[in-house]
Amino acid sequence: MLKRGVLYRTGIILLLQAIWLFCALSARADDAVVRADILRLAHDDPAVRREAVMALAKTGDQRLEDFLESYRMGSIYIWKGRPVLCERTIMDEEMNELAPLSDPLTRRPLMNNGRQVVVPVAELTGISPTRRERRLAGRAKFLLRLSSPDAAMRLSGAKKAGDPPGIVEAVELLRELSENDPDRKVRYTARESLLLLRLNERTAGPEAEDRLAVVRELGEMKSMRALPRLRELLREITGKDHGAEGFAARPLRTARGLVRSHGAPAADSAEQVYRRAIRQIEIHQGFVDYFGSIFQGFSLGSILILMALGLAITFGLMGVINMAHGELMMIGAYTTFEIQRLAGHTPDNPSDWYYMLALPAAFLSSALVGYLIEVLVVRHLYRRPVESLLATWGVGLILIQLVRLRYGDNIGVNAPSWARGGIEVMQDIVLPYGRCFIIVLCAFCVLLIYYLMKRTGLGLRMRATMQNRDMAASLGVNTGRVDRYTFAFGSGIAGIAGYAWTLIGGVTPDMGQTNFIVDSFLVVVTGGVGELLGVIFSGLGIGVLTKVLEPATIGSFTVGAIWAKVLLLLVIVTFIQFKPAGLFAPRGRLADE
Amino acid sequence: MELHERIEDYKTDSPRVSRFSEERFLLFLEDITAVFDGFKALDIEALGIGHNELRVIIGPNGAGKTTLCDVVSGKTRPATGRVYFEGRDITGMDETEIALMGIGRKFQTPAVFDSLTTYQNMELALPGRRRLWSNLYCKETKEERDRILGILERVGLLEVRDLEARYLSHGQRQWLAISTLILSDPKLLLVDEPAAGLTDSETALTAELLLELRGDHTIIVIEHDMDFVRRLDSFVTMLNEGKIMAEGTLSELQENEEVIEAYLGR
Amino acid sequence: MSNVALAKTDQPLGGVRWLGMHNALLLLFLAGLVGIPLLYYTGQISIETVNMLGRYMAFAIVAVGLDLIWGYTGILSLCQAFFFSLGGYAMGMYLAHHGGPGGMVDASGWNIPACLYVVYPYKVGEAPADAMLPWFWKPFYTLPATVTLGLLIPGAVAFVIGYFGFKSRVRGVYFAILTQAITVAAWLVFSMNSMKLGGTNGLTRFDKIAGYSLADPDVKMAVYIITLLCLAGVYLLCRYIVGSRLGRVLIAVRDNEKTLRFAGYRPHVYKVFAFVVAAAIAGLGGMLYTPQMGIFTPANMEAGMSIMVVIWVAVGGRGTLSGAILGALAVNLLYSFFTSEKDFILFTWKSEYWQFVLGGLFIGVVLLFPKGLCNIGRRFAGKH
Repeated sequence: MLKRGVLYRTGIILLLQAIWLFCALSARADDAVVRADILRLAHDDPAVRREAVMALAKTGDQRLEDFLESYRMGSIYIWKGRPVLCERTIMDEEMNELAPLSDPLTRRPLMNNGRQVVVPVAELTGISPTRRERRLAGRAKFLLRLSSPDAAMRLSGAKKAGDPPGIVEAVELLRELSENDPDRKVRYTARESLLLLRLNERTAGPEAEDRLAVVRELGEMKSMRALPRLRELLREITGKDHGAEGFAARPLRTARGLVRSHGAPAADSAEQVYRRAIRQIEIHQGFVDYFGSIFQGFSLGSILILMALGLAITFGLMGVINMAHGELMMIGAYTTFEIQRLAGHTPDNPSDWYYMLALPAAFLSSALVGYLIEVLVVRHLYRRPVESLLATWGVGLILIQLVRLRYGDNIGVNAPSWARGGIEVMQDIVLPYGRCFIIVLCAFCVLLIYYLMKRTGLGLRMRATMQNRDMAASLGVNTGRVDRYTFAFGSGIAGIAGYAWTLIGGVTPDMGQTNFIVDSFLVVVTGGVGELLGVIFSGLGIGVLTKVLEPATIGSFTVGAIWAKVLLLLVIVTFIQFKPAGLFAPRGRLADE
Repeated sequence: MELHERIEDYKTDSPRVSRFSEERFLLFLEDITAVFDGFKALDIEALGIGHNELRVIIGPNGAGKTTLCDVVSGKTRPATGRVYFEGRDITGMDETEIALMGIGRKFQTPAVFDSLTTYQNMELALPGRRRLWSNLYCKETKEERDRILGILERVGLLEVRDLEARYLSHGQRQWLAISTLILSDPKLLLVDEPAAGLTDSETALTAELLLELRGDHTIIVIEHDMDFVRRLDSFVTMLNEGKIMAEGTLSELQENEEVIEAYLGR
Repeated sequence: MSNVALAKTDQPLGGVRWLGMHNALLLLFLAGLVGIPLLYYTGQISIETVNMLGRYMAFAIVAVGLDLIWGYTGILSLCQAFFFSLGGYAMGMYLAHHGGPGGMVDASGWNIPACLYVVYPYKVGEAPADAMLPWFWKPFYTLPATVTLGLLIPGAVAFVIGYFGFKSRVRGVYFAILTQAITVAAWLVFSMNSMKLGGTNGLTRFDKIAGYSLADPDVKMAVYIITLLCLAGVYLLCRYIVGSRLGRVLIAVRDNEKTLRFAGYRPHVYKVFAFVVAAAIAGLGGMLYTPQMGIFTPANMEAGMSIMVVIWVAVGGRGTLSGAILGALAVNLLYSFFTSEKDFILFTWKSEYWQFVLGGLFIGVVLLFPKGLCNIGRRFAGKH
């Protein structure tokens, strides 16, 4: 009986081993080759060793990326003629150093009778790479990526290959990628890196004709990565040719030279070639930066619009300045944070559904607080803007302090994973998903408000109340209820603004008071009170202007966020000189009231 | 005289054409249009007001009477056309400049300074003294005080001279507004509905005051109240839909078919 | 007649009978002038308390200025903290010139004040050749020049803001928002290290004023007395303005600016005047505040500070000069009461709860006492 049992067990183990072997062989048919290459890493001849590294790199086997990293760290050993991985050694009771072994490719522990194989360190032969080999292995990592099936990996590999100091071994692979890769972006980057590598070759001087061809092509490609290197080379040339006369001193002349010589490229001097390429890239870069600023401005403007809409509506409807509007935004942001916390979202547990849930939650919580503010405070202050300004400021102070006592001073909301990354609409112009989302959200809210105001009964009553409260009341409109709902709705929109803000900015209890309330009011003032369209235009205008001014330079002085704000204020004040009642001012008999 | 003849007549004396216009008219409007959101609130080819004339302007609601006042007093910029005062083009001047040239105005709803007493309201209307520094140390002279008190006595506001204007009744506010206008002694008075909300006897007194001023002031009165207009017994211009529809004495107008139709509706 | 008119002017928005209020203020003034030094020299109160009262009086000066522009002229300015800070920085620069150990002499022979080392990347006492005293520090070396500039600069800034704002007829709450925005922008600018005004750390390390040590209790008492006298002076100046015909024009601006224009006045001239005077007064308040505080930071012009000035006036009673003073003192005494930790039977009062009191004060004053404390006084006075 016993014998039969042993037989059975041995049989099953054999069978399983056979299956495992089969699977392993079919999945990685070249496993044996790889392992043989790995063994060659321990060869005495450095040339053989380097060859082995390159051979490994060219397999394109993604498992090798981790392996090469371990190799660089010196964690690969030979044990009984086979490569093993040992990252950490342990001590037994007698203070002998022991090494638990793992497979270098799968990184799974080597098992023997259900337990990891542990051997004395003395049994291992180390493969310790020299510094040169270590560097080679580091580059090989990126070479591996070049043959990855994943386009994003190929892209990162292609990029790395061209970045200084450059991976010359990648030239062939890059050429292959630049011609045949299915992904356009990979083709572009591979070509770019290839050219950058050729640019760095030290064989010929910077003025050699094939070098100039490379420069021309980089210019045509508008390669932003090439810019620093090209400038450097230009400095080398001009330093040699013109001595003290520097690069910065003659940009104008170059620009003219560029136009003149356009028809006859053959006649170009090397300097002109360089200058033209640099200029092409600089123009492109300026365009990219500018576009990026404008897009950031659009998303900032969207948030300002969301804030200003509520303010404009309540000011138009009730003649109330709601200084607590920024705090309602803050409540929206904190609600998002609270939902994230409740959903257990952490960087390690990136579940994204909380963010969708937070949208209605932020709207509702801010709307609820807004409703309470209306009932308790604002209701008594109609058509008394200054008084309402003071009282709602007080409300804001209380809300800020409540939140500060509950949450402390600074919290972080993690953007959901889908909000990272972006769409590349043109070469180098990337629209981040998060900001796209904000713009779409804003457009949606604007359309919703438009629909509510123009197409629903509540909107009709609201507009009636806005134009003539007494008349509306006498026609049977419950103006009190209209006010409450409108105020709550405007507050909810502010909550959504806070929710959206968590994607692009930090959240503090006083964020509304320090950052948003004044800007939103400026939007309202510039746009004209009670004018939906005016608010949208001025919101976008102020948002874009802020972001365009910030990186602008005047001489050697960069404007920066603070001076941008000051400049923007000057622009608005000047604007008000000409249009005191805003972009879309109501006119006629009622205009004064 | 037919209306278009009158207007042609005005035109021949336009300050643009005639250098004697100034002698004939204190105020002259030419080709004035005022537009609100595409709606033409005022469209006057020509209108002249003679020196020391009392002109009454009537018209149904929305005829553009108040807009006419607004254009003259600088509150509204006309879309086209020119306003001449004493032969000077005053189009586009601001309210203060126009007021300083001698055009005074009483609004439809009497506008007084609520937190100031009746007397202080009058004090601010004293002619001259519009500059900042002189106001810091100047006090009114005895003659000026007597004048103020005289007018207040005349309109029966003497008892309430130290009462804040906010406590005045509507009629008293109306009086106060008229009194300040009279006190400020402008060359041209624009009086918008002086009889609104007044009792019959008060209306009679208002008419009397205006008639008294007629000798050495030019006055434009805008009014609905036909009794009041009859009492003033002056030349009447009728506006309808922003245009001059008829001109003449009240009795002439009352026989005009068009006027009757405009007032009674179709 | 003119007497009657004068008597009325202190209560266009209500207020106790003029004489009653006048007496109360006179009493308060005498108490401050005689009582407080007496209490101090007999050891009843510490010099810190005197110092604190002096600071509150500097605030009261600002409040009187705001009352002129808001209470009487009807223009809500949320710029007052900015003007206050302009005065404060002027005096701060003067004090920094003559203060602090370890300054250094720059290439042109000027001593670089110690508090600037926060924004210079050098250690105290190191003297690289390119470290220079910024040019705008130089006029603030002598006290008379400082005082003149401390009044002129806020006045000039107010003139520019007011001229462009009022000329283009920015009114009411729009003007408030505009001034708020200006204050926020100024706050950001003054907080920058590159402005060479000490960044967010502000100006500090003061030592001497007009040759006397600020640490000396007698000097502190003297500064307190000067502040009190300035408060009285500002009060009398505003009284005179408000009592003159010009004051009546200001009230007319508040009541009905449009009508005033048709009466041949230029309201913006009067508004600019009131705004400039209020700004200069705020600057004076700032200059008196700085030596009593020992430091001046940009936090003094945060968005909330200007609104604080408004609440002082609102608590006291808008449109009564005495109310502005009383309101400023009352709110600040409340502040010093509620920002100290106190044990009650069931819970401990913490200083951060002050925000709740302040918020409640804003709401309560507006909803329950829209005309301020002085109005309550009148309500009772009027009853018998």
